[in-house]
Amino acid sequence: MRTELAVAALGIMALVASAQLVAQIVPTGPQNRAANQPQAVAYLFPEQVTVAAGKPSPVALHFRVTAGLHINSHTPSGNSLIATTFSIPAGSGVRLDAASYPPGAAIALPLDPKTKLSVYTGDFVVQARIVTAPGNHLVQGTLRYQACDNRECMPPRTITVPIDVIGR
Amino acid sequence: MRRRNIIVLFTALFILAGLGWAGWANWEYRQQAAARLLATSARGELVPDPAGGAAIFISPLKGKLAPAFSLIDVDGKKISLAKYRGKAVLINFWATWCAPCKIETPWLVELRNKYASQGFEVLGVDTEGDDLKPGDSAGLAKEKAAVAQFVQQMKVPYPMLMNGDSISMPYGGLDELPTSFFVDRKGTVVAAQLGLTSENDIEGNIKKALTE
Repeated sequence: MRTELAVAALGIMALVASAQLVAQIVPTGPQNRAANQPQAVAYLFPEQVTVAAGKPSPVALHFRVTAGLHINSHTPSGNSLIATTFSIPAGSGVRLDAASYPPGAAIALPLDPKTKLSVYTGDFVVQARIVTAPGNHLVQGTLRYQACDNRECMPPRTITVPIDVIGR
Repeated sequence: MRRRNIIVLFTALFILAGLGWAGWANWEYRQQAAARLLATSARGELVPDPAGGAAIFISPLKGKLAPAFSLIDVDGKKISLAKYRGKAVLINFWATWCAPCKIETPWLVELRNKYASQGFEVLGVDTEGDDLKPGDSAGLAKEKAAVAQFVQQMKVPYPMLMNGDSISMPYGGLDELPTSFFVDRKGTVVAAQLGLTSENDIEGNIKKALTE
């Protein structure tokens, strides 16, 4: 009986030690190098919306680009540039029926005045149309973007757009 | 008695599994901590120019041997930095989505052609930094096609290496692009540039790499 108790105690210690170590593991590596940087875009509001369940409903999503930076619009000026795109993951109880994006402002970098870029700066609004199942849904939407200033660019990033959607 | 033996056996296996898991987690944690430390220690910073010009990039890699790497180029050839010992090398990290990077590429082509006879080479390193999942062969193929198209359009005469993200940590994380490191004939980093500067600045650093 004493042996069993000692074995059990050792087992618990081993599990506690492993749990502590696993808790310290933070994802790193090439795929996550952008995670070290401050966000170039912030989601402003709404935090909560109430819509008619089962019917396409408009929701205006407000974002802000950090001063001094720009991000590509939804229709960037080149194929290789990364478009700003809002999406909602499947299985959240809310479906993104459509999204309408504002037109980008045309800018040119000082060292290449001939090439126009289509970008968002400051505040911008994505007009989403969602279809919601009845009930409360904490939706973790995402906005993918890629930010630059006049001299350099940061890797593409995806931020979470949390919205509490109530379908009635 | 038999039941007791079974309990002890399973408990022992449970403990061994726990210890194995703890060992793996510890190894993983140490690997990641080492990678973070490496990136932090190599990460440069922008400091204001006392003369009032553009901010100056200070890299901790300056004066140190350029971190070694071997990458596959856009044609599928393996290219090692070590192969260029004896030459001055500009390692230019860029990405297809980076507009400032594309502005400086014609300058790099021109300067490479100008100084190649003196023992100078540029290594372009495509560093997409995106959220492609490992094994996303379609995504990788699309990236490679975009790089190949750019190389052709710009008539890039120097090797264009893929998957720069795999060497981002020893080069300071590469949080912004373009980032360039100028390496002398002995393999030492003599200068670094972050962001778009000017063709003159780049040429100045190439001369430094050739003469030091």
